[in-house]
Amino acid sequence: MTAFARLTSALAKRTLRDPAAVFFMLAFAPFYAVVMGLIFGNDPRPEFGGVGYVDANLVDFSAIVVAIAGLVLVPIDLVGQRETGALRRFRATPLRPIAYVAADLLVRWVIALVGIGLMIGVGVLGFGARPEGSLAGVLIMAALGTLVFLALGYALTAVVPTLGVAQLIGNVLVYPLIILSGATVPLALLPAGVQAAAQASPLTQLVVGLQGAWAGTPAWTPVVALTGVLAAATLVAARYFRWE
Amino acid sequence: MSDVVVCQDVVKAYGDRQVLRGVSFAVRPGEVFGMIGPNGAGKTTLMECIEGLRRHDGGAISVLGLDPQRQTRELRERTGVQLQSSALPTRITVREALELFASFYADPADPRTLLERLGLADKADTYVEKLSGGQRQRVFIALALVNRPEVVFLDELTTGLEPQARLAIWDVVRDIRDAGTTVFLTTHFMEEAERLCDRVAVLDRGRVVALDTVPGLVARLGAPTRLSFTVEGELPLARLEALPDVSRVRREGQRVTVHGSGERFPQEVVGVLSQAGVWAKDLETERASLEAVFLELTGREPAAEAA
Repeated sequence: MTAFARLTSALAKRTLRDPAAVFFMLAFAPFYAVVMGLIFGNDPRPEFGGVGYVDANLVDFSAIVVAIAGLVLVPIDLVGQRETGALRRFRATPLRPIAYVAADLLVRWVIALVGIGLMIGVGVLGFGARPEGSLAGVLIMAALGTLVFLALGYALTAVVPTLGVAQLIGNVLVYPLIILSGATVPLALLPAGVQAAAQASPLTQLVVGLQGAWAGTPAWTPVVALTGVLAAATLVAARYFRWE
Repeated sequence: MSDVVVCQDVVKAYGDRQVLRGVSFAVRPGEVFGMIGPNGAGKTTLMECIEGLRRHDGGAISVLGLDPQRQTRELRERTGVQLQSSALPTRITVREALELFASFYADPADPRTLLERLGLADKADTYVEKLSGGQRQRVFIALALVNRPEVVFLDELTTGLEPQARLAIWDVVRDIRDAGTTVFLTTHFMEEAERLCDRVAVLDRGRVVALDTVPGLVARLGAPTRLSFTVEGELPLARLEALPDVSRVRREGQRVTVHGSGERFPQEVVGVLSQAGVWAKDLETERASLEAVFLELTGREPAAEAA
């Protein structure tokens, strides 16, 4: 096996052995879809413009997975590895540092997307959800959003000094972002000023993008906004990432 | 064969703090070379400069003829490294760690053979973080050997280990040397340096203040040695005290203790006794230890062992 394949396999195994990672990245979204589906069903409702709850909200749940995977799990794991000296041990080998980052991103990206895929499967097969738009569009949007938030996680890892700060910032950021994204509480229920502010959040943009792709009303704004955040996060991570 | 590691006037500062102030020495092929020194003497900094993990400010370092700062990748291929505070990502088994690190190199050792050689075969499927201190340290030695290095750097490898585990690690280091790999280690345990190293350099305040074999260091310093024996009959006290290398003679009943220095002094004492026709029984010599040398050179006690 090549170094990259071996590294990807080792990182995949250790990520899948982490109960928190498995729960939030793989199990949470399908589980949430089942619970919400059982509570609200998918019968057409006027407040959702004539579609059911699951059809109207299913893809939004991806935002929760993506935000936790990127902003909470990445910094805690990588700052932890930086503090114990695990990352430094790799520096003492011929492995190129970028290969480690690439393998780690790939593993997390695939696992989070599998979780989102399972969630959509639950919605479609379990509750009869049907996209007006395309499933491929939804998956592309989810793929972009996952990448953006993993990059944000790496940027956060680069700038936080200690594991404690990483945990604090991750948790302080992630819950308001989730609430403002419309993934849990419909944005329409929030005050107008808050709704406007929420548009500045990349997680809100992701939800808008996902909904557009699902409903067959795709928009370019979320794609442009998310690509910009991806570029900025990558720059910060590349500039400030520390191995020790 | 030419020297494996050559340092010439190596200088390194962290801000205003001068850590290495012109370090020069050479490590010969096939030897276990030890570097001892008080905490903060610059041992780890020096080793990290040699490993290419840190940039030195001045002087020259050559490892296997390579420049650690410019030919870092080739250096990594041909050297093995055990860092002072080593860790691995959590939730990886011993076998996985070894197979992973083996994949980074062009011509790696067989991980399974390596595990057996280091007595880790029955721990292959255990997470590295669940191992005991001694076992974990053997994993990091295995990682340092996985690329069949020509020279291996071991930084404080028995610090924090129990005596039993330390003895086992020493055997591992001797095996490495016997297999033809040069070993460069740092330690602050004098006994470790005495038992393991072919030559020892003493680093103090950023300089090498002495470099020799352990007996050579002890002898060169003229550190005191004691010779004691039991005599029946008349002791040629005046003639013993007249020997140039003898500093003091003490007698308690039949037991005599002669204090002196230099490598030849015990033989001179015995010579005087046999000329005088005195029969000495239960002859014991007690040589000064590296600890005394260390104290003399650095003015400090070797760091106490962390409990």
